[in-house]
Amino acid sequence: MQITLNNIVPTPLKDTLLKRKSDVWNTTQNFSSNDWIKIKAPSGTGKTTLIHILYKLRFDFDGSLLWNNISTNQINETALATIRQEKLSIIFQDLKLFPNLTARENIELKRVLPKPYYDASAIDLMAEKLGVTHILHQRTGLCSYGEQQRIAIIRALIQPFELLLMDEPFSHLDKENTSIAATLIAEECIRRNAGFVLTDLDDDNHFNYSKQLSL
Amino acid sequence: MLFTLLKKIIKTSAGKTKFIMAFVGLSVALVLILLAIQIQANYNQLLHGKSNTDSTANFLVINKEVNNNTVNATILSNEVLAKLKEQPFIEAVGNISGGRFKASIESLISSFPFYTDIAFESVQNEFIDVNTKDWNWNEESNFIPMIIPNMFLDIYNFQFSISQGYPQITPDALKMMNFKVNLYNTNGQVQSYIGRIVGFSDRISSVLVPQSFMNWANEKFGNNKTTNPGRVVIRTKDPGNPALVQFLKDNGLTTDADKTRFSKYRQIVNVITNVSWVTGAVMLLFALLVFTLFIQLTIASCKNEIQLLITLGASPKQLQSFLMKQFFPPNIFIVLIALILIAVVQFALFALLKAQNIFVSKFISYYTIIAAVIVLLLLWWVNKAAIKKYIKGKE
Repeated sequence: MQITLNNIVPTPLKDTLLKRKSDVWNTTQNFSSNDWIKIKAPSGTGKTTLIHILYKLRFDFDGSLLWNNISTNQINETALATIRQEKLSIIFQDLKLFPNLTARENIELKRVLPKPYYDASAIDLMAEKLGVTHILHQRTGLCSYGEQQRIAIIRALIQPFELLLMDEPFSHLDKENTSIAATLIAEECIRRNAGFVLTDLDDDNHFNYSKQLSL
Repeated sequence: MLFTLLKKIIKTSAGKTKFIMAFVGLSVALVLILLAIQIQANYNQLLHGKSNTDSTANFLVINKEVNNNTVNATILSNEVLAKLKEQPFIEAVGNISGGRFKASIESLISSFPFYTDIAFESVQNEFIDVNTKDWNWNEESNFIPMIIPNMFLDIYNFQFSISQGYPQITPDALKMMNFKVNLYNTNGQVQSYIGRIVGFSDRISSVLVPQSFMNWANEKFGNNKTTNPGRVVIRTKDPGNPALVQFLKDNGLTTDADKTRFSKYRQIVNVITNVSWVTGAVMLLFALLVFTLFIQLTIASCKNEIQLLITLGASPKQLQSFLMKQFFPPNIFIVLIALILIAVVQFALFALLKAQNIFVSKFISYYTIIAAVIVLLLLWWVNKAAIKKYIKGKE
């Protein structure tokens, strides 16, 4: 999986973004399965916008976005679903869990949407590593943000992928939990030969980044 | 597993009342439509079925209308006969051949004296509604079998016998009597034979004799002129067919108007089935509309969930097949219920009419089942189209 950005500038942020230099906006940039990329940016500079553009959730931008050298405009719903099921996984900043489903069901949904990459037992293994086994049966609407974030991480890792998008994935976790989660993410990426794009506010050493960019 | 999860996410119970309304509406619509088809099938069966063949209904005696222009010229031309045979609604044409000799008949019993001049006619056996082993004749036969119109006996029993003070006669008694039949050749010489009535016809208002006798007698007593018949019997599937009535009118032909009365009954049945049809179709339309609205409502009420599912990578196909599984089975259920209901009605009808010697099928016709399947396909298509449309709107 490779994502190519060609002079992308989000329309709402156009005026401010064109005034300053950026490693991503209005340039050409490639994110591929070989890269572990960290994008650092302060609040309000379009981190979430970028992740959403990369995931084909937003279309309000100038420039062009390519997935595996195909313009995302040409990718139909079925192909889009297949890519999201098999090649491109994501951890949203706002987590996007179904509040009425239990934690396990939220993860299970993503496991069975594609042809399953892992057995159901993988959920328990990952939950145990991240210390959320006790809330698996709970509706996520009742879980704390920290717990929800770990569920969202497991959900992203339960499916097959070649590239993982992460939007401030540790924002609700303490240092120790962050490090455990990062280790799990790294393991899963290595296991799949997958790359990732991670956005965050500050510098960190959670991963062995291959590229660090600023927005 | 996926569907179990989707079921928890997409609640299809959003508009329960609407769903029940649509459900009831669709059921009534289906029952009406299928009932209309079943009624039509039953009616066709009554009209054309073997066990119900009305002896008079499907055979019509046709002749030229006798008026000032056609007096003494009512022989049917070859052209007209050929035309008759060509018509799609006429299955067979039987010439009624008349005797070309004079004849008279008289009683052999003094207590029942009568004498009358008479003329014979004959027609191929397949057009005769009397089935008896006595209906054949050759030169060795002891008597000439005759079939007389039922009407003759009625005239005797209810008019003649009363006014003349003669005893009434049962059909069976009449069949046992021998009559003297006198045949005259062209020179006026007479030969007498024994004749016997072997049956009574509702179909042809003539004194009928077997074809073999007619051929023999014509040759022996008649002149040698062979002419076309003046009357023919036709067999038709549907005497109420407006095309037949029109054809007769166009060619100056006439028939027993009473026999085409079926066309009036049929019109009534047609009106009833048409009303049932149209009502059913309109109701089906509304039910489909409500169903579509219900699907739209369900999808709209789960808009966020569906959006999130698509965001997470659920394919439209997965969602559609899930929703189809939620919405479509009730339709199958409705169709089955409607079919069962009509099957029960049909069976009751069968039992009810059987007591009156009217035979309709015990089971529903396959047209009804085919119609049910077609409606089911329509429902499937409407469901699918609605789901596809509204899912698409949610991306």
